[in-house]
Amino acid sequence: MPSSSNNSTVAIRTAERPTRRGIPPFVRYVAVRLGLTVLLMFGVTIVTFVLTNLVPADPVQAALGEQAAANPEIVAKFRAENGLDQPLIVQYFTYLGNVLQGNLGVSTQTRMPVADELAAAFPATIELALSAIVFSALIGIGLGLWAALKRRTFVDQVIRVVSLIGLSWPTFWLALVVYYVFFFVLGIFPGSGRLDPTAIAPPHVTGLYTIDSVLAGQWSTFWDALYHLVLPASVLALYTIGLLTRFARSAVLEVLDMDYVKAATAKGLPRRTVVFGYVLRGAMVPIITVLGLAFGSLLSGTVLVEKVYSWHGLGEYSFSAATKLDLPAIMGVGLVVGIVYIGLNFLVDVLYGVIDPRVRVA
Amino acid sequence: MKRVFAATGLVAAAALVLSGCAGGAQPTTGEAAGGGKSIVVDASFDLKTADPGRQYETTGSIVAKALYETLLTFNGEDVTKPVDGLASYEMNEDNTVLTLTMKPGAKFSDGSDVTVDDAVFSLTRVQGILGNPSFLLEGVTVEKTGDDTLTLTSETPNPALPFILPNPALSVLNQEVVEANGGSADESDGAEAFLNGESAGSGPYMLESFDAAAQVVFKANPEYAGDKPAYDRVVLRNVEGPTQKLNVEKGESQVALDLNPDQVAELASADVKVVSNPSRYMIFLLLNQNPEISEITSNPDFLQAVKLGLDYDKIVSLAGEGSVRPGGPIPSLFVGAIDAKQGNQRDVDAAQAALAKSGYAGEKVTLNFPNDITVQGLSLQNVAEAVQAQLSEVGIEVALAPAPVATELDAYRNGTETIGLWYWGPDFPDASNYTVFSPGELVGLRSGWAADANAKVTELSNAAKAATGDDRAPAYEAWQDELNASGPFVPLLQPAQNVVTSPSIESITTNPVWTVDLALIK
Repeated sequence: MPSSSNNSTVAIRTAERPTRRGIPPFVRYVAVRLGLTVLLMFGVTIVTFVLTNLVPADPVQAALGEQAAANPEIVAKFRAENGLDQPLIVQYFTYLGNVLQGNLGVSTQTRMPVADELAAAFPATIELALSAIVFSALIGIGLGLWAALKRRTFVDQVIRVVSLIGLSWPTFWLALVVYYVFFFVLGIFPGSGRLDPTAIAPPHVTGLYTIDSVLAGQWSTFWDALYHLVLPASVLALYTIGLLTRFARSAVLEVLDMDYVKAATAKGLPRRTVVFGYVLRGAMVPIITVLGLAFGSLLSGTVLVEKVYSWHGLGEYSFSAATKLDLPAIMGVGLVVGIVYIGLNFLVDVLYGVIDPRVRVA
Repeated sequence: MKRVFAATGLVAAAALVLSGCAGGAQPTTGEAAGGGKSIVVDASFDLKTADPGRQYETTGSIVAKALYETLLTFNGEDVTKPVDGLASYEMNEDNTVLTLTMKPGAKFSDGSDVTVDDAVFSLTRVQGILGNPSFLLEGVTVEKTGDDTLTLTSETPNPALPFILPNPALSVLNQEVVEANGGSADESDGAEAFLNGESAGSGPYMLESFDAAAQVVFKANPEYAGDKPAYDRVVLRNVEGPTQKLNVEKGESQVALDLNPDQVAELASADVKVVSNPSRYMIFLLLNQNPEISEITSNPDFLQAVKLGLDYDKIVSLAGEGSVRPGGPIPSLFVGAIDAKQGNQRDVDAAQAALAKSGYAGEKVTLNFPNDITVQGLSLQNVAEAVQAQLSEVGIEVALAPAPVATELDAYRNGTETIGLWYWGPDFPDASNYTVFSPGELVGLRSGWAADANAKVTELSNAAKAATGDDRAPAYEAWQDELNASGPFVPLLQPAQNVVTSPSIESITTNPVWTVDLALIK
């Protein structure tokens, strides 16, 4: 196998050279994936709409109280207000038209615009998921790298076992145990919520309390928000840490065996340079794939952690929407999560192109 | 290895520094951010809005009760007698006209007087906007009849009207402020968004902030004419039951409203106070009387076998301390309730005899129930399993069919369940609320009980509805006796309403209509 570094040099040169049609391969690569992304998003609207409307239950019954549901006048008004008296195909195109204008409909439960409610819930989940993914990436990749470098030693064994345990905890149970130990018994971390109940949220800019409080110069609120993030983000991160550790280990092991790494070591380059400049960079493409997917699943998988920690983000909103058969809210959540997944995949694809130039010309 | 210890030490130090910084940042519990006393109340939200005229959920009533006042109210926990609120009342002899006279002195939070016009506007708005609580005043005409009087005229005799008016959905709003913010007394009303950000009432508290998903913050209303609440600021937070328990034990919150019987039992050694009272909810079984739905359950002998086969005391004990068994559908808290001894009792031999007479040959009968909701923290799954086991002892094979409430509601409300396990939360604390269990009525139809299905029950139901004064209680008792004997419903229990408080709370007042009055927490 030729040296990978040489191969990259060739590939970069090839990639930067315009094609016969004058479109650089990287631009074409990005454009094709962008087109696919738009198509996928259109598909998401169809899937969320169809699946939501396949539920064998009447949203009117779920939304109205006992007496109101028995009143034909109120039921008719509710159906008309929510477009439920129209044929399904008309409902879909109305929905699609509204979505294209940024209108995700009105919640049948709260009568508030779903877009506004999602805008309120989304930052809470983003803040939680971002903290968890940063935490996971630092620890998971670090542990994976360490385990690979210490292959077949005691350290490697311990890390593998620990990562397996991380993957095996039931999140809901773990969330309760962590809450019990660190808040209730030890008292080192605060209870539920994003801020102390008597504290006032910082002025809304991004919706992420840690960032908004810094922007407003409210340092005590910043520490309070950060302090509240530690437990739920750690619980949420544990699974991803386990996943990333195992994945990073195998990816690094694969790269370690490559000739260009052996050559770099043989040339007498410092160990740190070999590890971080050659090995880790080489292993990053598959790791980034997992990282992107893990972030997507963190966003959609925060339900249980949000329930225990009263986080009131997207997870809890989707749970509430599903149990109350709030169709516009369910479709809104489905659409947002779908878009985030697709957006992340797009980003990951683009990052591939940046990290590994071979991908651009493939 | 040294590096591992160093890293661990670093993480621990960071945690301590973080906790130190944050700890210093937190306001002292019990002290509001702006000074004065504050408390945190944890509840499991079913909140939709802070607009009193549109809310009809448990949390919505807690919120509306704190922000607004009603024309009539109840004194503390007692719902057997309506008392004066913003007005005094007088009912005419045939129970068709309720005259309300506004009492002087009440002021809205903006300092303006509460007038009869505000009261008329608020009640007609509830009727006009066609929301969940609109039915409360169905068939009632609201009119201003003087400078400080209004009348509520009912098409038919309505002795329950004084019991309906204390409902927080019928709160009095500041007409001028609401209208200035898009409010009206018809379907074009658009004041909800405003009322979700700012309150317009005369209640003990004003709205400081409202987030239907996370928390509602109240601050004391300086214009409130009643006794000043003990706490200047109340934070009502949306927290799940297991977390509520830890929070109140740790002192993070001062009140927890939604602990289930198991969680309360676990608190036996904790330094908290537990108040357990029978709730307003009545859990019951329905056996479908429509032969097209089920030949088995519509058989009167099979129905009798079920009623005689259940061990009611055991089912009540499942629900923990404070739970009780109602004698009929009307909960023990209301006028017209009958004693559990008057209800059906377990008699295994008689049940088996009735079963043999019914011709039942051991077929499985389906019991449907919602499994993703709890009633006062009690899971219906537990009750369903107990019913299954007890009926098995008399020879009835029950297949449990749990489903999410959103999907099971359809079958229940359309009357297609064979046996259903549900609960009834009263719309107002009056026995008339329960005549929906009669043939041809709302819940009666759900059990396949058509209007002409049982003339005797219908006759007694009509007699109870028409009864007035002291005749009401015996009339409703007679109706329930007959319902127990021949009706398709089997009232099982009223689960307890558990409220747990930290030791710093001296007293808390629960109420079947608004759950808890935040202004009365001391």
